[in-house]
Amino acid sequence: MESLVIAYMYPNLMNLYGDRGNMVCLEKRIGWYGHQCEVRTVNHNDRLDFQRIDMLFMGGGSDREQGLVYNDLLVKADKLMQEIEDGLPALFVCGAYQLLGTSYQSHEGTVLNGLGFFDLHTLGQKERLIGNILLESELEGELKTVVGFENHGGRTYFDDEQLKPFGTVVKGYGNNGEDGREGIRYKNLIGTYLHGPLLPKNPHVADFLIKAMAQRRGITLSEPLDDTIENFAHQQVKNRILAGK
Amino acid sequence: MKIRLYLAILAGKMAIFFSRLAGNQGTNFPGRLARRIYPPILTELAGNILRETVIITGTNGKTTTSNMMAEIIKENNFSYVHNRAGANMITGITTAFIQATNLSGKREFDYGLLEVDEANVPLLLQEIPVKALLITNFFRDQLDRFGELDNTINIIKEAVQDTDIELILNADDPLVSHFQNQTGLNCWYFGFDDTVYDDIASAESREGRHCVFCGHELVYERFHYAQLGKYSCPQCQNQNPARDFSAHGLNLSPAISFQVNNLPIQSPYQGFYNAYNILAAVSLAKRMGFPDETIQTAISSYHPQAGRMEKFIINGKTVLLILVKNPTGLNQSLVALTQETANKNVFMALNDNAADGRDISWIWDADLEILANRQEDINYLICSGLRSGDIAVRAKYAGFDPARIVIKTRLQEGIARAVEGSNDTAYILSTYTALFTCRQILLKMQTKAKRQSNQSQYQRQSG
Ligand SMILES: [Zn+2]
Repeated sequence: MESLVIAYMYPNLMNLYGDRGNMVCLEKRIGWYGHQCEVRTVNHNDRLDFQRIDMLFMGGGSDREQGLVYNDLLVKADKLMQEIEDGLPALFVCGAYQLLGTSYQSHEGTVLNGLGFFDLHTLGQKERLIGNILLESELEGELKTVVGFENHGGRTYFDDEQLKPFGTVVKGYGNNGEDGREGIRYKNLIGTYLHGPLLPKNPHVADFLIKAMAQRRGITLSEPLDDTIENFAHQQVKNRILAGK
Repeated sequence: MKIRLYLAILAGKMAIFFSRLAGNQGTNFPGRLARRIYPPILTELAGNILRETVIITGTNGKTTTSNMMAEIIKENNFSYVHNRAGANMITGITTAFIQATNLSGKREFDYGLLEVDEANVPLLLQEIPVKALLITNFFRDQLDRFGELDNTINIIKEAVQDTDIELILNADDPLVSHFQNQTGLNCWYFGFDDTVYDDIASAESREGRHCVFCGHELVYERFHYAQLGKYSCPQCQNQNPARDFSAHGLNLSPAISFQVNNLPIQSPYQGFYNAYNILAAVSLAKRMGFPDETIQTAISSYHPQAGRMEKFIINGKTVLLILVKNPTGLNQSLVALTQETANKNVFMALNDNAADGRDISWIWDADLEILANRQEDINYLICSGLRSGDIAVRAKYAGFDPARIVIKTRLQEGIARAVEGSNDTAYILSTYTALFTCRQILLKMQTKAKRQSNQSQYQRQSG
C-alpha cells in the first residue's frame, strides 16, 4: 500500500460549494484502489514541496480572494509550470482555471494578471453563465461524456489555437458560450468551469487523474471499482440536460 | 383619487381567491398584479400600521423567528399584519397587506411583522417606515458563490444608512459585527454565553471565517453552531460585540431552555439553531417593550410548525417530514435524527428546480458523514427526487454502505419503501419543490392506514 499526496491549494480562500466533493472523491477512490491518500492543505505563504506531491487541486473564489492567491502563487509559478510540463496531474476549477491564463478583466474594468501558463485570457461580464452542462471529452483515447454545473461571469478565450480544450460543449456554455470549447487540457492538467462537483459524477475523469498519479509513482491499482451509483447519477443528469431541463 | 387603490385591492383580493381555488398558495401573483395597477399600494396600506413595523431578515431562521414573534404579539392582544412563510419578496409582502385589509383599504393594525428576503430589504425600506430590523444570521447558502453574500450584506448596510432604524443583531456572527461601526445606528446584540454544546474545532461549513475588516482568518475560541461562536481577529482586534441580550444555561434536551439575562425561557422546539431563533425573538420582543410573562408564555406554548418538521403515524410507525434546503439546515436535521437511536429508514428527495436552487453541489458541503457515522441505526437510505443519483453518490462518498443505499427516483415509490419494513421510524427529508408532494403522499398513507385499522377493529367487534 502506497500513499499518494494531493496538495489542496488555499482551501480557506478558494473554495466554492462542491470543491470539497472533488477531494473526497479522489481520497475515497484511491482508498478503494488499495492505497492511501493524504490531502495536504497548502495555505498562503506555505512552502510547496513538489518532491512529495502527486497531484495539485485548486478551486474557485471571489475576485478579492483571487488577488490574494495570485500574489502567493506567483512565487511558486516557475517550479509549478515545470512540474506540469513533467506531467504532474492537476485540477484547476473556475477561478483557479482563469488564473492559468494571461489576464482576467472584471466587468468593472479592473485587470488582474494571470500566471500566464497558457495563452488564454478571461473577460468578466455582469451576466453570468449558469446551468447544467454536458461535454464530450477525450480521456485515455476514448470519447466520453462529462456532466457538471457551471456558474461563471468570466468568458475565457484561447489566444493560441493550438491549445486543447478539456471538452467540446454538447449542451451549456463552456469557456465563453460562443466557440463550443470548455476548459483546457494539457498533459495531465485539467482546467475547467465545471463544478457540481466535477469528479464524483464523472468517475472516469477521477480515474484519469488517479491513473496518472499511479503511473508516475509506478504503483498498480486494484481491480476496477463498482461505479453503479456514480454512473446512474451521471446518466440521470445527462438525460435531464438532453431533455432540456 | 383613490379609485386606483380600490381597484388594486379588489384585483388583488380576487387573485388571492382564485389562486386558492386553483390550489395554489396565492403568494406573489396577487401582490404583483395590484402593484401594477397602483404602484404605491404597499406604502399606502402600510400607513394603516398604528404602532410600528419590524422586519426580520437573514439566511436561516426568518420564518421560525417571525412566527414566534407573531405569537408574542398575539399574546399581548394586539392586531398585526404578517406575511406567510416563504412569501418574503416585496410582492408577497404586498399580498399579505392586501389580504389583511378591507375593500376600502382602511383597516388598521397595531403592528407590521414582516419576514423579508435579504435582497428585498432595501426595496422594502423605500416603501415602508420601519422601526427595527432584526438580522438572524448570514450563512452562505446554495445561491451564494463569488461573494454574493458580501454584496447582499453591503446593500442592506447602505439601505439602513442615514435612517433611524434600530438594528437587532447576532453578536456571535462575524458577518454582521461591522454593522454598528459602519452605520452608526443604534444596535442591540443578542448571543450565547459558553454552552456545553460548543465545539472547539467544528467540522462544519467553513464560510465566513475571515475578518470583515481586514480579511485575516479569524481565530475561534469556540463554535456554538456553524460559524456562530466566540471569535477574534489576530490582526485588527475585531471580536464579538458585547451582548445586550445574553443567553446562558442552555439546555437542548429534551427541549430547549435557557435564560436571557435573568428571564427563564422554555420551548418545545429542538436544536441549537432553534435556540438562536428563540433568542432572536425574545430580544426583539424585549426591545419592543412587551412584558416578560407574555414572552415566556408565547414561546413555551408555541409548537413546531407544520412542514418544517411534521409528524405522521402510519401503521403505528412514526414518520417525520422535514424540509431541507441548505448545508446548515441539512446538518442540523441529520444531527437531530441520528440522536434518536431507534431503528430507522431515512429518505431524502433532492430536486433541482428553480425554487430548490438549480445547483445541487451544496450537498457536498453538508456533512452526510453524520449519517454514515451512525449507520448502524439505519436500515436503508432511500434516495429520491429528480437528482436521486446525486444524493446517492454523496452518501456513498460519505462512507455509507452502498449495499444499503436504495435509489427510487419516484417519490411515491421511495416513500413507500421508507415506511415499510422492520424499521421503527422513518425520516422523510425533502427539498422545497418535492415537499408538497411528499406531504400529500404521507397524508394519504396515514388516512388509509387509519381506515384499515378502524375496519379491522370493527370486524373484530362484530365477529
Ligand atoms: Zn481583522
